[in-house]
Amino acid sequence: MDPGLRRGSDGEREPDGVTHKSDVLVIGGGLIGCATAWRLARAGAQVTLLEAGDINAGASGQNAGSLHFQIERRFIENGEALAEQAARIVALNRLAITDWRGLEAELGADLHVSMAGGLMVAETPEQVAMLEAKVRRESAEGLASRLIDGDQARAVAPCLAPQILAACHLPDEGHADPRAVTPAFAAAARAEGADIRTRTAVQAIRREAGAFHVGTADAAFRADRVLIACGAWTAHVAALANLHMPLYPVALLMNATERTAPVLPQLIQHVGRRLSMKQAYAGNILIGGGWPSRLAQKADGGFDLGAKASIIQASLAGNLRAAIDTVPMVERLNLIRSWTGVTAISADQLPIVGEVPRMPGLFVAGGGSAFTLGPTFARLLARAMGGERVAELDLLSPARFEHLNSFMG
Amino acid sequence: MADTFDVVIIGGGPAGQAAALALALAGHGLAIAVIDEPPRPGGQILRQPPAPFAVSNWLPGRSYDGLKAQLARFEALEGISWLGGHSAIGLVREADGLVVQASGQDGLRRLVARRVLVAAGCQDLAVPLPGWTLPGVYAAGGIQAFIKSQQIVPGERVLLAGTHPLMLLIGAQIVAAGGTLAGVLFAQPRQTMIANALRHATAAAAHAGNLAAAASAMKVLAGAGVAVRFDTALTAAIGNSQVEGARTAAGDIACNAIGLCYGFVPQSTLPRMAGARVQTAGPAGGWATVADGWGQSSVPGLFVAGETTGVAGAPAAMAAGEMAGIGIAHSLGLIDASEAQHRAGPARRRHARLLGFARMLDAVADPTGYLPAPTPDTLACRCEDVDFATIDQAIATGGSANAVKLATRCGMGACQGRNCEPTLLRRMATAGRTDDTGFTQRFPARPVAIGDLAD
Repeated sequence: MDPGLRRGSDGEREPDGVTHKSDVLVIGGGLIGCATAWRLARAGAQVTLLEAGDINAGASGQNAGSLHFQIERRFIENGEALAEQAARIVALNRLAITDWRGLEAELGADLHVSMAGGLMVAETPEQVAMLEAKVRRESAEGLASRLIDGDQARAVAPCLAPQILAACHLPDEGHADPRAVTPAFAAAARAEGADIRTRTAVQAIRREAGAFHVGTADAAFRADRVLIACGAWTAHVAALANLHMPLYPVALLMNATERTAPVLPQLIQHVGRRLSMKQAYAGNILIGGGWPSRLAQKADGGFDLGAKASIIQASLAGNLRAAIDTVPMVERLNLIRSWTGVTAISADQLPIVGEVPRMPGLFVAGGGSAFTLGPTFARLLARAMGGERVAELDLLSPARFEHLNSFMG
Repeated sequence: MADTFDVVIIGGGPAGQAAALALALAGHGLAIAVIDEPPRPGGQILRQPPAPFAVSNWLPGRSYDGLKAQLARFEALEGISWLGGHSAIGLVREADGLVVQASGQDGLRRLVARRVLVAAGCQDLAVPLPGWTLPGVYAAGGIQAFIKSQQIVPGERVLLAGTHPLMLLIGAQIVAAGGTLAGVLFAQPRQTMIANALRHATAAAAHAGNLAAAASAMKVLAGAGVAVRFDTALTAAIGNSQVEGARTAAGDIACNAIGLCYGFVPQSTLPRMAGARVQTAGPAGGWATVADGWGQSSVPGLFVAGETTGVAGAPAAMAAGEMAGIGIAHSLGLIDASEAQHRAGPARRRHARLLGFARMLDAVADPTGYLPAPTPDTLACRCEDVDFATIDQAIATGGSANAVKLATRCGMGACQGRNCEPTLLRRMATAGRTDDTGFTQRFPARPVAIGDLAD
């Protein structure tokens, strides 16, 4: 590629009529997009990445940074069949543990990765039974999680409340800094020659003679393969390619306390209540766990993903109550900021990652858990986009929704 | 706990009081709550001493007379729910009306209202310069608050530095309170101030009283042997663990307190949180809430008055508050349109006249070009200890203010960016990015105990 064409967002625009050619075009400057761009560029591909806003501005930078490798509560609260299906994601969680352990060294960046263990707690006998079933599933999938009683849990994390009856402990869990991870991937991708352009919204995607033509307001791009990794905007961008992608935006509440002395090295989750807690490296305790905010609405119907979602006071009150009940010392701390990140969930709750059968060469990645699993998705996607068959992604393939695209494409 | 009111007024200063008085006149039996952070009404301009204090000759000077008379009328008003000692930490539109969350010693109160007036005043422009985080460096308004409410001058030898003529009045108040001034430094040349004033000569003539107050303050300072210097910019606060002096191009000046006075920015957090339209407040930054002639913002039911809509001084805030009170009364159907016009007439004319003076003052006090230069290690965000080198690096990547916040933590601390946002936006403007809309305003507007917010 002519190095003259490799210009960032701050470079001069090329004259009209020039089509920028690359092997791969990535749409979306979040964690998955930047990480996949880096992997592909490092493998020698010419990569262009287009981001409508700023790098890391969406859920990749707004999430609370949990590295959760136990089966998520959301996967076991909707009945046995879905829980059984979701258990299979543990295989990917195990890959993610390995990926996160090596990431800082691989990127040569401080991502504030802390893997001091995680506890999913239970307060009632029913919740303890849920943990028992969960541990059985995880053991069958080869995950080293372990059920411990309340006193053992408090020995691991002394700040836990006396009414915690039991916990599922996984030594590999922890947290990382969402503010640092995606920018580090973007910087690494640039260093490998990827052309990353911000404030460049894709307006058209067309497949012609085996190649993709992608248009923005003032430029045209051509690539052999395209990845759509736009978080909550993925369905919207896929529609530009005349495809349905069953990913639905959800707005989730997160909260930060003032800084406090180190008290909580672990990731804390709750099997019966929506809760995640951790202490970030700066000392703030982050409290989340999937409590909803209200998405802004467009005047003519539908959700307005560009406008700020509004906080639902009952969510705030419920989230903070769950936090106090689990880690009582937070009651005295000040809340300094509540915010909402907008992510996407899929029609069957598993992420959607892989090639769209209806449109060979077009890849999609999204659907939740993409901070914890993002680096792994990116590593596997890069292999798949390089033409390899990647069995690890079979579970997440968009092929399972192919019927939606029977009349599309 | 939810309390329902017809009108909730946020701010017990001149604008909030005037609105409450106008509303009380328009509708008997209206349920009105007025909330403010200090325990007693008055706002920053009339920051009252605690009730048990008897202060003789509190805030002498004719410029306070009208404000003090209104405060007395407000305090005598019956049927108002005065919620002193409460911070409005959130403002949202919900199905049942506008909801104000008020945090106080008794916990969190949820105030539901048909109309909300934000009359939250202004705050000193935070001015980062080398040494500005040393103990002993204050916003000049902070020093004034000490004097007004506690009769205390913080520091044995106080230096005032900046561009705003208010320094003269604060200096005279320091002298009157028994304090010692190390000097008053205007960064701009005297001729520039005069030239800028003369460009608004009509306004100056119409407000001879204010100019006379400035002249008499000058006299007080001269009588106390205080040097008022022009064209003398403060470049750094110096000292080890505490301010020991002020650095200027003309040499160091010994002092143990410095009051910075480069102007004021509107308190617009709550209207912005509620999604109201704002515009740039002035050359140094800040956001002024956009409103029509009745104080109605772009959010239905949300009214704004006083410095929240642009800094114009307490008398202008009084007039704007009265207009907003009348506007709210009309919007609630208590008075018809022609009655509203009739009642608002005098306040509207007064307001227009005062705005002329405010524009003159803006021109005279304009800090553009006179703000001290930070060094790369000067903190831009003192809540999160983010220095200029760090924000400059993030700005260079081309991101928005929100992106710089995410990348650097600038604005992520307890003040939610109230202090550093103008600094960051000026820095971005210098780098050619003048169109940024600033930080997304996040709940809560003030830190609040987790235990108060939980179910």
